[in-house]
Amino acid sequence: MRIACPFCGERENGEFTYLGDASPKRPNFAIDGGEVVEDAFYDYVYLRDNVAGVMREYWYHGGGCRSWLVAERNTVTHEFISVKAAPGAGAAKPAQAGE
Amino acid sequence: MADFSWTTQSPLKKALVPGRHGAAGATAGVTLTEMRDIVLMQVMARRGKAAETAKAAKKLFGVEPPVSPKAVSGKGATLVWSGPDQFTVFAPRSDEAAQLEAMTKAFAGSASLSDQCDGRCLIRVSGPRARDAIAKFSSLDLHDSVFPVGSSANTSVDHTAVNFWRDANGADGTPVYSMLVFTSFADSLWHVILDSSLEYGVEASSARAA
Repeated sequence: MRIACPFCGERENGEFTYLGDASPKRPNFAIDGGEVVEDAFYDYVYLRDNVAGVMREYWYHGGGCRSWLVAERNTVTHEFISVKAAPGAGAAKPAQAGE
Repeated sequence: MADFSWTTQSPLKKALVPGRHGAAGATAGVTLTEMRDIVLMQVMARRGKAAETAKAAKKLFGVEPPVSPKAVSGKGATLVWSGPDQFTVFAPRSDEAAQLEAMTKAFAGSASLSDQCDGRCLIRVSGPRARDAIAKFSSLDLHDSVFPVGSSANTSVDHTAVNFWRDANGADGTPVYSMLVFTSFADSLWHVILDSSLEYGVEASSARAA
């Protein structure tokens, strides 16, 4: 499996580390408040979808440019649809994943 | 109180045995050279200061730092891409204190610097069979069309981070590759490179960077 890092180009997957689902958003205390927040945090920390198909994932190119990336990958076929820099990964930002 | 005097020594002091190794032949297929007496500085632009950092580099070295995996030769130094908004300055050592001071002044306020002079070891792999030897331990595509002179890559060799770039071709027209490896892994990687090169015949030596 080869992953096309937006900074380095195509590299073997051994240079990358998988973190997981890039979709969950950290709940905001100031806005939500109360028990709703507790539920939201429970979801955020523990609950994950078991996607069969395309999902957005965090990958870390530790063996290369040490950048966090957001990839769209098909979990059934292992096909990478897109790989972009995660928000905040360098000011150069060749192509950043929308957040 | 005791006075400590630190003397720099090569991490390849034991591993590097100068001379011919492996297959015999008129010419060695691979030439391995440890480049000694180097100055290395990691330059990381601060948030939103990439343009300012580039300007400072241009002023000091006469060239813009690379924004993609490339190695650019400037005045007295080579700037090697090492990540988004980051590059490594490699220079032969003349007056280390003065060289570091010049960079500290030039990048004050725009970038964070990290002195890597004794943190890395520079191994140069060259010769007609250099590419064949490297192919055994690296997954990079080193074909001329993909990795021409001036290309660079941050990659892993044996799970160890390596800054890799291609220098100008040697006098005989064969490719020259530079590998910047962590000092503590230099011994181990040297053996990896040497073992991969033995079948082509190896000429090993160390030299002062120039």
